[in-house]
Amino acid sequence: MLFENTIVTVISLSTPLIIAVIGETISEKSGVINLSAEGTIMISALSGFAFGYITDFAIIGFLAGMLTGSIIAAFISYCDIKLRMDQIAVGFVLTILCIDLSNYLGQDYVRINGPMVTKFAIPFISKIPILGNVFFNHSLITYFSILLIPISWFFLNKTNLGLSIRASGENPLAASSRGINVKKMRMFGTIIGGALLGLAGASFSLYTKYGWSESHTANYGWIILAIVIFGGWNPFRAAAGAYGFGLLQVLAIKAQTVTLALSQILPLLPFPIMIFILIFIQYINRSERNKFPKFLISILGGNQPEALGRKLPEDVK
Amino acid sequence: MNKNIQLIQINFIRLVLTLAIIFFVLTLFGTSPISIFDSIIYGSMGSYSKFIRTLIVWAPISLASVALIYTFSAGMWNIGIEGQIIMGAVGATFVARSFFGDTIISPYVQILFALGFGGFWGLICGVLKVKGNVHEIFSGLGLDFVASGIVIYLIIGPWKREGIASTSGTDVFDKASWIPTIGQNEFPLLLILIIFVIYIFSFFIFKYTSFGLRLKATGVNEDAAERFYFSSGKYILLSFFIAGAIAGLAGFSQASGAYHKLVPSISGGFGFLSILIVLICSRNIFFTLIISFLFSALIVGGSQLQIKLGLDHSLIGIIQALFVLSWLILEKLKLEKILLSKIIRSNE
Repeated sequence: MLFENTIVTVISLSTPLIIAVIGETISEKSGVINLSAEGTIMISALSGFAFGYITDFAIIGFLAGMLTGSIIAAFISYCDIKLRMDQIAVGFVLTILCIDLSNYLGQDYVRINGPMVTKFAIPFISKIPILGNVFFNHSLITYFSILLIPISWFFLNKTNLGLSIRASGENPLAASSRGINVKKMRMFGTIIGGALLGLAGASFSLYTKYGWSESHTANYGWIILAIVIFGGWNPFRAAAGAYGFGLLQVLAIKAQTVTLALSQILPLLPFPIMIFILIFIQYINRSERNKFPKFLISILGGNQPEALGRKLPEDVK
Repeated sequence: MNKNIQLIQINFIRLVLTLAIIFFVLTLFGTSPISIFDSIIYGSMGSYSKFIRTLIVWAPISLASVALIYTFSAGMWNIGIEGQIIMGAVGATFVARSFFGDTIISPYVQILFALGFGGFWGLICGVLKVKGNVHEIFSGLGLDFVASGIVIYLIIGPWKREGIASTSGTDVFDKASWIPTIGQNEFPLLLILIIFVIYIFSFFIFKYTSFGLRLKATGVNEDAAERFYFSSGKYILLSFFIAGAIAGLAGFSQASGAYHKLVPSISGGFGFLSILIVLICSRNIFFTLIISFLFSALIVGGSQLQIKLGLDHSLIGIIQALFVLSWLILEKLKLEKILLSKIIRSNE
């Protein structure tokens, strides 16, 4: 029973993380680090909650969150491609701006009640003992987050559009000479990623961390940046990382009664792990691949997009 | 000379445009920009004691900003600056809690430890970059959180206050460990001296030494640097070490000058703020000194906004970030050049 409850909590607690991690993965696959994740998630958490509160429809809140996220991403994309500014600089400034902006604009929404996302048990299959309760008795946004994992994998690996986005993130010049509109692809990947980040923000304030308060989603944006790397830019592994972090959170809450220090430090664990993964990725990329057992590579390796974080070369059309 | 005058003119027009954007946004929020800036100026420089408070905030921000010039010159994004400030504060606290704590030399030993702890934390980032090819943004971000994890552990664990373990901070340091001040209003002479020494030192490094030149060459093009027979890796490592050490001093200032103890959020977000500052100063040391002072005045003056005008202090962060964002975009749009040539033409 305890075990069962823990899984249920982890799955619903990880909902926004999954969505955000996949959004950031798509963005980074197109070659753009959306460093504004921390700010984007926070301000879309506010806009999601505020619009949900005003209209009393949670769905409007989710759409508002997505719109907020995509506007910010479009802005980054414009600065990156049209103005040829440093995407990291723009993302960083936007993070700080959005955090303070959400704290200022959100003052009227602190600790009030808005629309609530209710659980939706899928008919028939939710009646299956244990499994039904664990996997098929969640809110719609949680089902969406679970479905998003295979969908985004399929999108990035099997569709033309997804492959073009990846090509633009790996080698813009080669992609461009193959007739791919690199600028468009990069913009598209960034905006889709931003919209998902926004949706994640809204699912914090409308579902897993219901409501709004000052710096409501603090540090989640930085954590998802770490989880994307943990996931080696692969949606399935990234999702596993997000669930892993959800489990850490649950453990941290449980540990609170035992030792205060542990409960404060456990949620920081993804960061050192991120650094080790990055070192390992670079290490196996340099040495001969077959030196390592295959399962180790598939767990710890990863395909960092070659052009990640770089400006497009001048001669890309 | 003519070019310099034009540069000043362009920067001046850009400043006016940036302020216009900020005024516009503040008006959009339904606030009065004039009364906001009035209360900020009064709140940060209205009296001698307020001015001292501004100096105490200015010290860590100006130090962290000049630290970032080193890494930016080498073409590195030192997002790990927050962690370096935190570790500097840890170093200072370590000395303040040791047997040095109640002796008169404590602050000076703290300086050494802050330099060492901060430099070491910066160096990790550099080693990961040079030896491991890890993107400095990700390692920096990770090390920021690891550092704050260490602080939380120390505050709850080994350095906890007598009897209670809470996240409110360690015991207050012995008075001998506080940064020495002068006069009744506690003018922080030592801090101001440190700032000027570091700034003059950095000015000379970048202006007159081959080290400064090579650092900049590394930032422009790593491969070109190799072709001139010096290893860019060495310079990246050095830039991270120096930046970390100076940032460590900022942590020392926070722990022994501002709080007089170690608290979980010891860096106060000043590291990230310094990144904003350096972004608009384009590695100009003189500008950095001035802009960091203006931003500190904004912070100290902004703490009065709630009392005087009933406005949330987050407005200050909005003003700062908006300033930087507008500045960066205007810089790229090159509007000022067009404006300037129009003004000149109409004068002719």
